[in-house]
Amino acid sequence: MVALGAFFIFGCSNNPHPEPLAKVREDGEPWKVRYSALPEDPRSLDPQVSYDAVSRRVLEPVQECLLEYQPFKTDPYELTPCLLLALPERIERTGGGITYRCALKPGIFFHNDPCFPEGRGREVVAEDVLFAFRRIADPKVECPALSTLQDYIEGFAEMFEAARKADSFDYSQPVSGLQVTGKYTFEIHLKAPYPQLLYWLAMHFTSPVAREAVEYYDGKTHDGAARDMFRFHPVGTGPFQVAEWKRNTRIRLKRNPVYRTTAFPTEGWDADREALLRPLAGKALPFVDEVNMTVFRETIPVFLLFRQGYLDEMAVGKDAFSSLITPSRDLSEKYKERGVALHRDVEPSTFFMALNMEDPLLGTNRKLRQALSCAFDAKSNLDIFFNSVPIVSEQLLPPGIAGYRKEFRNPYGYNLQKAKVLLAEAGYPNGKDANGKVLEITLDTTGGSANERLMAEFYQQQFEQLGIKVKVVENPFARLMDKLDNGGFQIAAGSGWGADYPDPENFYFLYYSKNLPPAGKNHSRYKNSEFDRLFEAMATMENSAVRDGIVLKMNDILAEDVPHILNMHRSSFRLSQPWAPRIQSNPLLEGGLKYVVIEHGLREQLRTQWNKKPVWPVAALLAMVAGSALLALNARRKS
Amino acid sequence: MFAYLIRRLFFFVPILFGVMLLTFVLFFVVQSPEATAKRVLGQKATPKSVENWLHNRGYDKPLLINHTPGGSWHDSLFIHQMRKLATFDLGTSDVSGRPLREVFAQGVLPSLLLTVPAFFASIALAVGFALYLVFIRNAAVDLVASLFCVALMSVPVMVYVIFGQFLVAQVLNYFPAFGFELSGWSTPKFLLLPVALMVVSGLGADVRLFRALFLEEMGQDYIRTARAKGVSTVQVLLRHVLKNGLINLITVVVASLPFLIMGSLLLENFFGIPGLGNVLFRAIQAWGFAVVQASVFLGSLLYLGGLLLTDLCYAWADPRIRLQ
Repeated sequence: MVALGAFFIFGCSNNPHPEPLAKVREDGEPWKVRYSALPEDPRSLDPQVSYDAVSRRVLEPVQECLLEYQPFKTDPYELTPCLLLALPERIERTGGGITYRCALKPGIFFHNDPCFPEGRGREVVAEDVLFAFRRIADPKVECPALSTLQDYIEGFAEMFEAARKADSFDYSQPVSGLQVTGKYTFEIHLKAPYPQLLYWLAMHFTSPVAREAVEYYDGKTHDGAARDMFRFHPVGTGPFQVAEWKRNTRIRLKRNPVYRTTAFPTEGWDADREALLRPLAGKALPFVDEVNMTVFRETIPVFLLFRQGYLDEMAVGKDAFSSLITPSRDLSEKYKERGVALHRDVEPSTFFMALNMEDPLLGTNRKLRQALSCAFDAKSNLDIFFNSVPIVSEQLLPPGIAGYRKEFRNPYGYNLQKAKVLLAEAGYPNGKDANGKVLEITLDTTGGSANERLMAEFYQQQFEQLGIKVKVVENPFARLMDKLDNGGFQIAAGSGWGADYPDPENFYFLYYSKNLPPAGKNHSRYKNSEFDRLFEAMATMENSAVRDGIVLKMNDILAEDVPHILNMHRSSFRLSQPWAPRIQSNPLLEGGLKYVVIEHGLREQLRTQWNKKPVWPVAALLAMVAGSALLALNARRKS
Repeated sequence: MFAYLIRRLFFFVPILFGVMLLTFVLFFVVQSPEATAKRVLGQKATPKSVENWLHNRGYDKPLLINHTPGGSWHDSLFIHQMRKLATFDLGTSDVSGRPLREVFAQGVLPSLLLTVPAFFASIALAVGFALYLVFIRNAAVDLVASLFCVALMSVPVMVYVIFGQFLVAQVLNYFPAFGFELSGWSTPKFLLLPVALMVVSGLGADVRLFRALFLEEMGQDYIRTARAKGVSTVQVLLRHVLKNGLINLITVVVASLPFLIMGSLLLENFFGIPGLGNVLFRAIQAWGFAVVQASVFLGSLLYLGGLLLTDLCYAWADPRIRLQ
């Protein structure tokens, strides 16, 4: 037993990863692997279904989109062609409709896969985009984009309803919203102007899909061999393809040997990154040969493996925060000495408390809403509950979205004195009405965890500083959603929105009066004819100085009307190892794995240095066992 | 015996029906399918997408009886769910759409690889230590060992996991801190530490229990007779105390055997072992009620199986007991 234990301790490496798929590349260079962590298994890798962050992160390097985001231009974000030759050409039709004329790059091939004859991927053609669009409208596919796209793309709503009634979708029917005009060319027909369509073309929902792949991967057994379902076996055109998916354990991607859709950009980065990025300009992508994504349910093992050098990057969670980050929000010296780099990533998202504008009290008293907003100390909230990592939001639009003003300060941000004055002006001096009755307000939150309860108490204390009484109601998530949908609340904490695409329309639609629940997401039930007029004008405009002006006006209206109490733009700290310098930080790229670089030699050297095994604990343990045995023998002799 | 077996199996039917009824009430009445859909689809879900999600899973059927004109009365959610469970049709995961039969089948082996060695190592070590303590009973070492066992019992399992992972895997670098591989020699490399932690975390309680059982046997008349006839203490312990004491252990041990399949929720998650504990934990986190419901059903089946097995083993081990 002792020998066996010693064999496993000293004979085996503590590296948790399997051997890479190869040792060297065809050109003799070392095979480079990127090691990263996933918080859970992807739910679906079907491009028309995948919507959650984890699934998108795995799908992004496998399934390319028609357009993509330029990796270095994040303020504002910028679209560039990916599978398309150029950005779509916009044509205005008579009657108000819009057509986008698109052309695919010729010579792009699907991954080699058994679903194709002889296992060789075929060329991507416009029919594959048409097939993808048909899948969006198929109710059985459950595409999350349908609810939005059916309002704009011709024929989508009708196709969906017909399929619902018939309980099956006719894949041979023509799609009036997408017309194939040549082998590589197609046109998308919209009922009305919707410039945001271009952003949807940068999402996987509109990625071309090979019909052969969907039909082949049906989840059934054929000739004695079980086939996966398509949602677990994507066949794309991306720089990587799925080589192995061990459920609940890991996903391994390997380099697509025939990838040539895009190359490393030649411009766009800041001047201080010139030395790192210039040598990569115009080079073929990707830079690594394999991506290993390990599934971790707990965050502690992620930190342990990062420290041992078995992960190339990690998000700084609460468990390891104090070990890694100093009170001044810098990386601790110990990790700086190891060459680790700290990055702060701001998500294009905004979190706030929704105020119900249909509530007879809050909806009719703007001063009261302003007072409540002034009483909420968002910074303390972030300091106490989020380790000061997120950014206090001063406006609805998060950084990077066109119209975001860095210098803008919320006129009703935290200011307790001002809050008290506003409350008095609202008719509640010291929190009491004219009859001396204390003002009572209900705050709905999601309850359950101790942290959520503490946060709710914090919010309550903030508002009660004004002398009012706040009743906290804890709700399960679905119950709070119901209240938001049916308007049964006064203040709802925990509301927020993450950008589907970097356009102000994607945030301001939250306050458009024609977007009321339950069908829409205007949970505050905000109705302002001027705001609506500006929204309608802005939503259908291409980006321009005029549009920026409208966006600023809309921001000012919301800031003054206070249909919400702003809280934060979610952010996170991430660490990267010295051998994996960060190339880009565009949050819309879901990791941007094709741009990742690895210095293989440095990693091997540091891993050896960091993972030495001391012998003395085993010797001490053996001595203890021997001592016990001697004791037993002695006792036996005496008996 | 055979009649007893048949009778017991017959009793299982109402118990299982009760479990199925309870899980239905919990997952479809207390928590409505709409609430589950909203949770799974997230804050951005539209009413239409929620409706479509429910329809595709058959969750939009009437709850108990179908009163829809033209519809069959038994085309309801209750009948549908009961029929599925009664025919062992576990269905598919609400979240990923994977067949649950496949999900459970893939999780069984990793769970067993963790729990079976830990189970047998625990029994062997606990019996060994307990016999040793009985052998040196009342000595100073016995007292210290008893205190040590109480200390081992007092430490929460979570502490063993975090401390073990940190010390053995992180500071000493002896084993991988995380991961699992089902291929030859690399499998034990990943399992040694979690198995050791599982054994140590339960050792204190087991040793105390077994020691008490063996001490009770030591006070029996037949032991005194054996000692009077000149049988050595070691032989008394190994031939008589161990054999007769083990009969008492059956009730404790055999009932837990079927649960080895269900794995360990905590260890599997901390060490990344893709067993059934891991599956269940993920389902609870992701609101995958189909997985949770199927787990409860399978768990109750295993529990009933464990009880039956205990009775049968008891009769087999102790000739004085007859099952009627």
